[in-house]
Amino acid sequence: MIFRADPDLVQFVREEIAPEGSEFKPLRENRVAVKVDLGLLDKLADRFVHKYGARLIHATAVDLDVLGFEVVHIYDFSKTKERLVVLLEASMSKEDPVVPSIAKVTWQASWAEREMMELLGIRFLGTPDYRHQFLPYEWPNPVEGGVSGGQMPGLGEEIDVKPSPQEMWIPLGISPKQAYSTLIPIGPYHPGVIEGQIVYVKVEGEEVVSADIKTGFHHRGIQKLIERRGYSKGVFTSERVCGICSAAHGLAYVTAVENLYESEIPDRAAYIRTLLVELNRAHSHLLWIGVVADVIGWKTGFMITWGLRERVMDIIESITGNRVNYGIWRIGGVSRDVSNELALKASAALKGLKDECSKLLLLVADHPVVKSRLVGVGPLSYSEAFEGGAVGPVARASNWKIDVRVDNPPHAMYDQKVISWQVITDDHCDTYGRTLVRVKELLVSLEIIMQCLDYLAKTSGEIRVKQKVIPVNSEGVGLNEAPRGELTYFMRASEYDQNLPQAIRIRTPSYRNNAIIPKMLVGSNLADVPVIMGSTDQCLACTDRVEIIDAKVETKKSILWDELVALSRKRRGREF
Amino acid sequence: MSIPAKILKQVLSRYSSPMTLKYPSGVDPSKKYSQIPEGLRGVPERDAEKCVGCRACFMVCSGRATRIIDLGDKRTISIFLFRCTYCAHCQESCPEEALKMTSKFEFTIGEREDKGAYVDTDLEMLRCKSCNTAFLPKKMEKRVFERLQEKMNPLVKEVVLSDYKKLEGYCPECRRARSTNFDTHTKKWLWLEVK
Amino acid sequence: MADPVITTIEIILIIPVALILGVLFLFLFRKLNARFQWRVGPVIRMYSDLAPLIGKTRIWQPLYDILKLFGKDTIITDVAHRRLFMYSPYFSLLFAIAAAFFIPFPGMELLSSVPYSLVIASYLIISSILFTILGPVASGSPWGAIGARREVELFLVSELSFVLSIFSIALSSGTLVISEIADRGWSAPSILLSLTSGLLLFVAMLGKLHIKPFDMPEAEAEIVAGPYTEYSGKLLGIYFLSKTFLTYVLVALFIALILPPVSTSIFWLPAWAVAATALVFLLTVVQVLNPRYRINNALYWYVKVVIPVGLVSFIIAFFIRVVV
Repeated sequence: MIFRADPDLVQFVREEIAPEGSEFKPLRENRVAVKVDLGLLDKLADRFVHKYGARLIHATAVDLDVLGFEVVHIYDFSKTKERLVVLLEASMSKEDPVVPSIAKVTWQASWAEREMMELLGIRFLGTPDYRHQFLPYEWPNPVEGGVSGGQMPGLGEEIDVKPSPQEMWIPLGISPKQAYSTLIPIGPYHPGVIEGQIVYVKVEGEEVVSADIKTGFHHRGIQKLIERRGYSKGVFTSERVCGICSAAHGLAYVTAVENLYESEIPDRAAYIRTLLVELNRAHSHLLWIGVVADVIGWKTGFMITWGLRERVMDIIESITGNRVNYGIWRIGGVSRDVSNELALKASAALKGLKDECSKLLLLVADHPVVKSRLVGVGPLSYSEAFEGGAVGPVARASNWKIDVRVDNPPHAMYDQKVISWQVITDDHCDTYGRTLVRVKELLVSLEIIMQCLDYLAKTSGEIRVKQKVIPVNSEGVGLNEAPRGELTYFMRASEYDQNLPQAIRIRTPSYRNNAIIPKMLVGSNLADVPVIMGSTDQCLACTDRVEIIDAKVETKKSILWDELVALSRKRRGREF
Repeated sequence: MSIPAKILKQVLSRYSSPMTLKYPSGVDPSKKYSQIPEGLRGVPERDAEKCVGCRACFMVCSGRATRIIDLGDKRTISIFLFRCTYCAHCQESCPEEALKMTSKFEFTIGEREDKGAYVDTDLEMLRCKSCNTAFLPKKMEKRVFERLQEKMNPLVKEVVLSDYKKLEGYCPECRRARSTNFDTHTKKWLWLEVK
Repeated sequence: MADPVITTIEIILIIPVALILGVLFLFLFRKLNARFQWRVGPVIRMYSDLAPLIGKTRIWQPLYDILKLFGKDTIITDVAHRRLFMYSPYFSLLFAIAAAFFIPFPGMELLSSVPYSLVIASYLIISSILFTILGPVASGSPWGAIGARREVELFLVSELSFVLSIFSIALSSGTLVISEIADRGWSAPSILLSLTSGLLLFVAMLGKLHIKPFDMPEAEAEIVAGPYTEYSGKLLGIYFLSKTFLTYVLVALFIALILPPVSTSIFWLPAWAVAATALVFLLTVVQVLNPRYRINNALYWYVKVVIPVGLVSFIIAFFIRVVV
């Protein structure tokens, strides 16, 4: 498979999209990078979103040492022109980094700008949310005039949630009036949520009045690790961002690096890549169905779907050698071949699985108690999903047909003329719809897997095209459809070093869906809070990674620790 | 109430044969580890005869588990198993195909200093004729020489071999210090175009 | 009322018998639960290569769990009402054991021939559950508060089903003494009455024993552990022990009321065992097939099903009393 640029798209960009006189460079495939002035960013955002129906994929910034910061906005134009991704780049010096905010145009940018403000110190004029994203709310804010703790606007309305550590627990027995509207922190340790996060939920009786979500507990510094270790070791590091969707991260990383040069991969490698990503998707959806069954209280469903999942894991183990971290992604192909006998054996083992899955899961979707727990819970209409920037099954269950495998396919075999599969949408717009979308996607994945195994069992060929030189001073964008949604890797090669990238930015689908959770939680029953959070299929290990931490806030750490210790001593009423 | 009945039927299908496997025999009780597939990436194992000490595994190790310890006359290449990620990158990049990933996955040890947590290979080093530092494993020198002879262009072979005899046994520092005295042929590859 | 000495011996004897039977019922519950979920569950006969290391059987596993809890730290929160928090589990256990005295067992009549023994037994069951509400409220944690609130709502409604069932049976026999109800004869309408009242009593048991779909007080995915969140160590062990006794009490009450002659003389003991096993099997099947209801759905379902069946049951009881 050879990935070349399309001259049509370059023409389109030159004539209609790029502002007058700006320089741009056509990248490989369907990505185009345009250099613009800093002040034009919000006007261009306005034009793109309203005139061409573009969607913001991610907004990020690169630290170019002495050359200053470079702000990059990535847009997806697949509504107007098939498969066009435009990068807008604007540079500024490090002395006074002020950028106009585009959060008023598309709300999707507000979390991205929050992150850039916190970690790089760039100030965005007009952004609605100034709070910390990874550090605790009580940490001093690096932005002057920025608010610590406080307002969280969500999609145009103001919700008043002020969680301070002293107020978090209101023990009953003090007075009924004070406890009328109780603030319940769900997290950081809670059996109903899988990973560490806090969801502050204000309830009256059993109804949720307002909500706020705080992530940042899983920071591990993966972006910095990849920037230091280089392209070839980054293959293994990027896989370990997430355990459940590790194949999706591997493919997105490899696509991003291959986007830095004119790449080609053998056909057999493309089929193997698709096979592994779809196996990953199958096991992830089976896992999710088990988790939702557990959260609504049906433990049997949990055990049974995970029992079916074991058969998928056995196939993965025999193909790649490990159940979780596959380690076969290489730049230019894959590293391990699937022999013909192995493909036949895997095909035979998986044949019965599709029938069992479809029987059991469609039965579950009709069970009256399950339906009463899931229907009408956590509603998200089409317009809310569109403005909030939902991705993945959350968006598809609100009748919005976006799927990266069709819009901007990664470097694997997803051509709908070669392998027959279809995109699943549903119009229930609530948790039940998301369940149905994932169940049907699981069945579609199993079909794709069987077709790939058929091809691999009958043919043979090369699996890798080794690339010796990665060019300097170029950008690459790798997009992939993880089981949770659209996954983006933005990669910027260094100015002079061929082995190490200058910057890598990972934007995971849970990052987007987490921002919409507070909107979905308002008005629901307390019993439904874990169900709604589970229905967006959070993978917080993916959501928290790091950029370069601003040195100004580093010194405050010791003070907060002492304060915390003093507070806990006072609470217990005795000294150690 | 037929849907709960159908679910009950599916649920009861494995009533007497649960999915729990016994350890370590697995599905087939007569064979040990019967459910472990062949290609499992377990503990790496190095063939001490084939290893030449070229340090390629050290440079590509993605978990920084491989360490090179040069002490006196000996070079030790040691893989610390608790940092190894079992990614098989070293197996791929070894030019002598000395590393293989076995299917071993049980290697618990009692204490941190136990030798069971390391996979070690020792190699003897060659000492420089003039400054007496150990700079190259003996096997590597032999192997490089063999490869040179295999891949050399016959037009330049004699000259290369005679030059090699002059440089043999000196470490890179000493070669640099003596470069004007060696009387070797520089830029041999241009000869191919001339001839 | 029989000889006081024999009754005293029987009362002392029933406590270990109730404990052992309760443990066995819980074991059976867990084992069947596991087998339905494609797992193995606590093993009855340990594998031969492991038996010398860890014992021959795991039938007493629920008891081991309780004993393990007695060996752990008991942590009491600062904001708790100390006395109420600490004494509630003991009261709950006391009332559960006291309720066991009023229910006949094959071969032992105990105190079931005391006048109004049916009412006394049901009050003791209610009191036992009441102390699983008061303790968590005294703990001062929001999870306990929500769990206690759900328990109260569920409890008020499961009582409706319980009361409709036992009083319709009492109406049909014309007496409130359990030993006389357990001794009554059979006829065609009384089988019908057994069916409807049995259904109601079964549904009440689901609510009292926290079996899905009615285990929302203990929902661990939503409210950590519900009422038991702040309990640990020996206090939690006492709560589990009282749950064990409550299991025995409800199963024995079911058999005494719905399957009349089985609880009377000692020759019925095998039938009693078979009936108890079948009941636990049915409870497990319902647990395995259903997710958990939300509290307002549970109320609605109760009102839709329980009240009509209760009315039918009362009509049949009235018919039996007047006509037969």
